[in-house]
Amino acid sequence: MNPKLNASPAPHIKSDETVGKAMRDTMLALMPVTFVSIYFFRMYAVFFIAVCMGTAALTEIAFRKFQNRRHNLGDGSAILTGLFVALCYSATTAWWKGVLATVIAVGIAKELMGGLGWNRFNPALFGRVSMILLAPWFVNVSTEFMRWNVNFGPVDVMTHATPLAMMHQGLELPGAGSLFLAYPGGAMGEVSPLALILGGLFLLYRGHINWRIPVSIVLTVFVLALLTGHNPFLHMVTGGLMLGAFFMATDWVTSPITEKGKIVFGVAIGILIVVFRIGLAPTEGVAFSILIMNAFVPAIENATKRKPFSEPKKIAMPTQ
Amino acid sequence: MKAKTFKGGAHIPHYKSWTEHIEIEKMAVAPYVIIPLSQHIGAPNEPLVKKGDKVKVGQKIGDSTEFISAPVHASANGVVTDVDYFPYYAGGEALSVRIESEGDEHEFHPTVQRDPESMSVEELRSAIREAGLVGMGGAAFPTHANISPKTPVDSLLLNGAECEPFLTCDHRLMLEKSEELIAGAKIMMRCIGAEKCYIGIEVNKPDAIDKLQKMLENEPGMEVVPLEVKYPQGYKSTLIKAITGRDVPRGARSADLGCVVRNVGTTIAGYEAVVYGKPLIERVVTVSGPKVGKPGNYIVKIGTPVDFILQQCDVVPEEGCKIVMGGPMTGKALTTLEPGIVKSATGILVLPPDMASAEVPYTDCVRCGKCVEYCPMHLYPNQLSIYAEAELYDLLEKWNASDCMDCGICSYVCPGHRPIADFVRKIQPELKERSRAGKTG
Repeated sequence: MNPKLNASPAPHIKSDETVGKAMRDTMLALMPVTFVSIYFFRMYAVFFIAVCMGTAALTEIAFRKFQNRRHNLGDGSAILTGLFVALCYSATTAWWKGVLATVIAVGIAKELMGGLGWNRFNPALFGRVSMILLAPWFVNVSTEFMRWNVNFGPVDVMTHATPLAMMHQGLELPGAGSLFLAYPGGAMGEVSPLALILGGLFLLYRGHINWRIPVSIVLTVFVLALLTGHNPFLHMVTGGLMLGAFFMATDWVTSPITEKGKIVFGVAIGILIVVFRIGLAPTEGVAFSILIMNAFVPAIENATKRKPFSEPKKIAMPTQ
Repeated sequence: MKAKTFKGGAHIPHYKSWTEHIEIEKMAVAPYVIIPLSQHIGAPNEPLVKKGDKVKVGQKIGDSTEFISAPVHASANGVVTDVDYFPYYAGGEALSVRIESEGDEHEFHPTVQRDPESMSVEELRSAIREAGLVGMGGAAFPTHANISPKTPVDSLLLNGAECEPFLTCDHRLMLEKSEELIAGAKIMMRCIGAEKCYIGIEVNKPDAIDKLQKMLENEPGMEVVPLEVKYPQGYKSTLIKAITGRDVPRGARSADLGCVVRNVGTTIAGYEAVVYGKPLIERVVTVSGPKVGKPGNYIVKIGTPVDFILQQCDVVPEEGCKIVMGGPMTGKALTTLEPGIVKSATGILVLPPDMASAEVPYTDCVRCGKCVEYCPMHLYPNQLSIYAEAELYDLLEKWNASDCMDCGICSYVCPGHRPIADFVRKIQPELKERSRAGKTG
C-alpha cells in the first residue's frame, strides 16, 4: 500500500550543477570568439571547427570501445576539447593536422590517462603542441600530406601574419585598439581578445572558473612586459594570452585546486609566457607555458595545502 | 549591521517561504505513539513501565542511572500496549514504548510554579535532567551534561541560525516564545556561570532579530548576533568561530573554549522544565515540502508516528519521493512511515522525486574545486572522496578525514554527483577504531 520511498543517504537535496552544464556553459562562453572567427574566415573556420569537433566525438567513442567503457558524449567534454583544438589553429590549416591533434587530445591526453578527471595535461593544448613536433614528420614521410587541403576560395583577410610574429620581426603593428577588438591574425582563438574576455567574464559569473588564475596570469605578463620595456597593452591583446588565461589555464582538471596554488600557478605561467615571447620564437608560448605548469600542479597543491579548520593554532584558553 | 560568519560554506536555496510565516499550531494527538526509550547520545535507558500499565502525560517511562543520559516520558494519556523493538527513524529498530492514547485530553498540567531565581544551580540542573532535555537542534546530547562544565565558561551561545533549508521551527519559536527564550537563557547562564549570552540568528530572519534586539536592550550581557545566511552556519564549531572569533581545535569541547552552545528550542524547553516541571513530551516540528497540503510548524507529541503527521498535513506520498526526518542536509530519509517523532526531530520534509537527491551514477572527480571552496572544515573533500572510496586509511588520516562533521555541503555542490559526504561517513567508524588502537597500542 505504501509507495516506495527513496531513502538514499543525506544530503537530500542537490544543487542543479552538473559536469555537462559546465561544459555547455564553457562552449557558450567560446561562442563570441567562434563567431568572430567565422566572420573573418567564413567556410574555412566552419569546416575546421566541424572537423575537430566531429573527430573528438568519434575518438571518444573509439577509445572507450577499446577500453570496454560506454561513451560519455552527453557531458560534452569531448566535443568541447574538439572546439578548443580547433581554436588553437588558424582557419586555413590543413584539416589532417586538426584531426590528428584532436585524436591525440581526446584519445591520448584524456582517455588513455584515465578519462576526464585523471588527465594531467590540458588535452587540447597537448594535442596542439604534439602536432608542432609531429606535423613535420608526417610531411617528411610523404609530401602527399601537403596537398591534403580544402579550398573554399579566397577570403580577403587571410594574408595577415600573427601580430606576435610581426612584433618579433620588428614590423609595424596595427594599433592595440584594433587588436583588442578583432584582428584576423594567428589562430582562430586569438582573433578577438574582447570576445574572449566576454566569454571569460561569463564563466566567472557562472562560477565555473576562479578569478585567481586569469588575473594572476594577466597581471604577471603586464608587469613583466612593463619591466622589460615592452608595450604591456600589446602583450595583453596578442597571441593566445586571453584564451590561455581564461579558458586553458582554468581547466578544472589540470589546474591547482588550492587558492594559493592557483595564484602560484598563474604567476608561473605569466613568467613563462614572457620568457617564451622575449627569448624564443613566437610560437605557442602560451600553450607551452600552461603545459609545463600542468606538470607542476601536484607539487604546487602539496606546497599550498591550507590548514584544516580544526588544526590547533595556539593553545585555546578560556578568557576569564 | 554587519553579519558575522566563518570562511567556507555556501549559500543554498532555503525553501523556507512555505512555513516561515505560519504560526505554531498544536497537532491532534495520534491514536498511538511509539516512543523510543533512548533518544539521546549516551547510556541507554531502562524501561520503567510494562505492557498493560496505565500512563499519564509527563510520566517517566524510561531512565538510566548514568550521568550522560536523559529520561523519556509518556506524551499521551493511555495504556502501554508494548515495550518492544519498533522501527526507528535512523534505520533498524529501537526498544520503544507503544502507548495507545485514551480520551481527548493530553495536555501537561503543571503541578508546580517555581521561581528560577530562588533555585540553586544544582536544582536547576536537576530539573532539566528530570525533564529529559536533549539538544533539540539535531545533536540530542543530554542538556544537563552540557550545562555542567568542569572548566569556567564565559559565554552562552544560543543557536538560532537554523541554517538548514526548509526548517522554520526555531524561527517561529524565537518570534512567539521570545520571553521564555530570554528567561531560559538566563537559567542556562546561571547553570554554566556565563556572563555573556549571544543569540546567533541568520539575517534571513529579520523579524526575529528585530524583536529580540528590542527585548534585549535593557538586558546587560545579552545580545543578538546577526549571522550571514550560509550553510552550515549553525554547526557548533562554525557558530563559535563566527560569534566569538575563537578557533575550535579538534578534540576540544566547547566548554574548553569558554562557550556553551544551546539550541533556542532547547533553551525554551529548559525554561518550561525549570518553572513548570514540564518534561520534553512535545516539540515544534516543521512539516514542509512543495506538495504538502497543510505545511506548518506544529507542536507534535514525541512518538507521534510519521504517517499520522502526513495524514494531518494532507500529504499523499508519491512513488519515489523522500520523507526526511530532520533537515534536508543532515536528516534521515525514512524507509517506512511507522517511526515516531524523536526529541531531536526538527522537521518532517516531503521531497518529491524531482527535488530529492538520489543514488545516481556519478563521475570521476573532475577537480572543479567546489567542495574545497565550501568545506567549512577546510578539508579537501575531493581527495577524501577518492581515498574513502578506495579505503586508503593512511591517506584519510593524513588528510584529516576525521575532522569532517558531515554537513553534506560537498555532496550538495558536486557537479559529478559524487556522494562525497556518504563516502567519508562510511569510513569514520574504522578511522575511530584505528585512532583508538593507535592510542592504546
